[in-house]
Amino acid sequence: MDAVIRTEGVSKVFNAGLADEVRAVTGVSIEIRRGQITVLKGPSGSGKTTLLGLIGCMARPTEGKILVEGRDVAKLPERFLTSVRRQTFGFIFQQFNLIRGMTVRENVMLPLYPTDIDGRQMVRRMEEILEKLELSSKRGVKVGKLSGGQQQRVAIARALINEPAVLLADEPTAHLDTKLSEDLLNIITTLNMDGKTIVIATHDPLIYDKPYIDNIIEMRDGTVREASLL
Amino acid sequence: MRGHGRVIEYALSTLARRKFKNFSVAAVFSFLIAVLSSILFLTHAYKTETLKLLEDSPEIILQNMSGGRHELIPVEYITTLSGIAGVGKASPRYWGYYYDSLTSANYTLMAYDENMQDIKLLQGRMPASEGECAVGKGVADIRQVGMKDDIFLTLGTEQNVTLKIVGLFSANSAILTNDLIILTKDSLIKFFNMPADMATDITIEVNNPSEVSTVARKIRRTFPNSRPILKNELIRTYDNIFNWRGGIVLTMFFGAIAAFMIFVWDKATGINAEERQEIGILKAIGWETADVLYLKFWEGAAVSLSSFFTGLILAYVHVFYFNAQFLAPVLKGWSVLFPKFEPMPYIDIYQIFVLFFLTVLPYVAASVVPSWKAAISDPDSVMR
Repeated sequence: MDAVIRTEGVSKVFNAGLADEVRAVTGVSIEIRRGQITVLKGPSGSGKTTLLGLIGCMARPTEGKILVEGRDVAKLPERFLTSVRRQTFGFIFQQFNLIRGMTVRENVMLPLYPTDIDGRQMVRRMEEILEKLELSSKRGVKVGKLSGGQQQRVAIARALINEPAVLLADEPTAHLDTKLSEDLLNIITTLNMDGKTIVIATHDPLIYDKPYIDNIIEMRDGTVREASLL
Repeated sequence: MRGHGRVIEYALSTLARRKFKNFSVAAVFSFLIAVLSSILFLTHAYKTETLKLLEDSPEIILQNMSGGRHELIPVEYITTLSGIAGVGKASPRYWGYYYDSLTSANYTLMAYDENMQDIKLLQGRMPASEGECAVGKGVADIRQVGMKDDIFLTLGTEQNVTLKIVGLFSANSAILTNDLIILTKDSLIKFFNMPADMATDITIEVNNPSEVSTVARKIRRTFPNSRPILKNELIRTYDNIFNWRGGIVLTMFFGAIAAFMIFVWDKATGINAEERQEIGILKAIGWETADVLYLKFWEGAAVSLSSFFTGLILAYVHVFYFNAQFLAPVLKGWSVLFPKFEPMPYIDIYQIFVLFFLTVLPYVAASVVPSWKAAISDPDSVMR
């Protein structure tokens, strides 16, 4: 199976050269294989969220290469990096990061607002995704009025609206109870069966103990401690 | 283009989400623009109105001076004046001021002459015989008199003079005629007890308007005690007076302007954690820096443009529909009988542009610049 993303000796240093310099990731080389579910596992501060941000083109590495579909994106200008991010990745954040005061449908369509996609096509996509995630009845509701699980599903819907090849999720069960976490994992496995590559940064055993996880990369102190293909 | 339209739509919805904050800014912004525009509109309207009125006035008014004060002028000067090259027609004018102790108001009494034919009367006619007069709207209102009523003026000798009102001036000419009482020449001379061979001043027409200054110099040389007042000087003086008064009002208002600018700067530059987070989310879900700046541009533009035009409309209504109730007393001057004329809507587009560039553009810039700082940083901040 080919790699969608490959990192080669990637490091990320925050506040480089300052007194509060933090070396979040050091010399990480990993592969994210197409169509698989990969988990970045590790305790808080191990660098998994930073690595997730790097492979999702949300930040640039201080050193090393990040190859997305074989193309090194580490040195790309901001505009092209955004383009890669928009076309390739969908993000599910730990804090959901929905825009308060906006409805479900507005939040879901938000990534497509600045694009030239036809309005009807945008609405059709949104309707399909809400249908799939059982959120159709909530489309006109302000996100602040939804439960945590519903907000998480809205965040997933928003991540899917661009039809990304790779879905990146940062601690997606951190604010969900066991039942909602199970529901979320069901959604994720369904998406994986639809062909999406999924990368999850988590320290929740409920996720990384699941049998359908293809690949676990264990991180500690900014480095890869162990990578296992299951 | 579709994308731009949706970003603008999103900008408007963002403003609606923070409606209290944005509404308060827009309210203060609109008020400021309304006050500044009112001053500019009114000053410009007065200047234009005055200019139009002075257009028909003589090129030179010649006054006689004695001890540095305006004195009566001998009518015989006209013969000498007519001989000066460039002088067209010279005519004596008879006028004076009258303080009415009944109403504590000053009136201008003037003898009727043929130059007044252009002044529009609302009703009646100009005085034709002794004991008749035409009065301005202000005089009629303050004395509560109308057509065919009698008006009493008291001479210094405590003797009452009764004049019958045969004409009322139209409100359109109020700036010129509000405090005016027109009498026949004989009535006026008698009223002020003026010597028969003296006039208040002399008006002089000049054949070639470009030679006015030269003619004035010649007159000055011929009559060293005289003071030729040029029409251009009058126009300049009125311009300066209105500019000065407008400037005084603007200066008084400067504190409020400064407070607003600080408020705007603080509002626009003080991008809060929520806004920073929102920018991070937009970047993370695929918005480019340019999209974020476009969004912030339209947020700033929507607030400032709507406030700007609201302020302009408020000022227009205040000045041209409500006769600038709040500003007119300051800008019109000291007269007891404020002319209640309606300023014509003359607007200086150049002033509007200056106001636009001094208010809208700084506001938009102050909205975009701090967002630009947030937009160029890596969006991974929303993950932490």
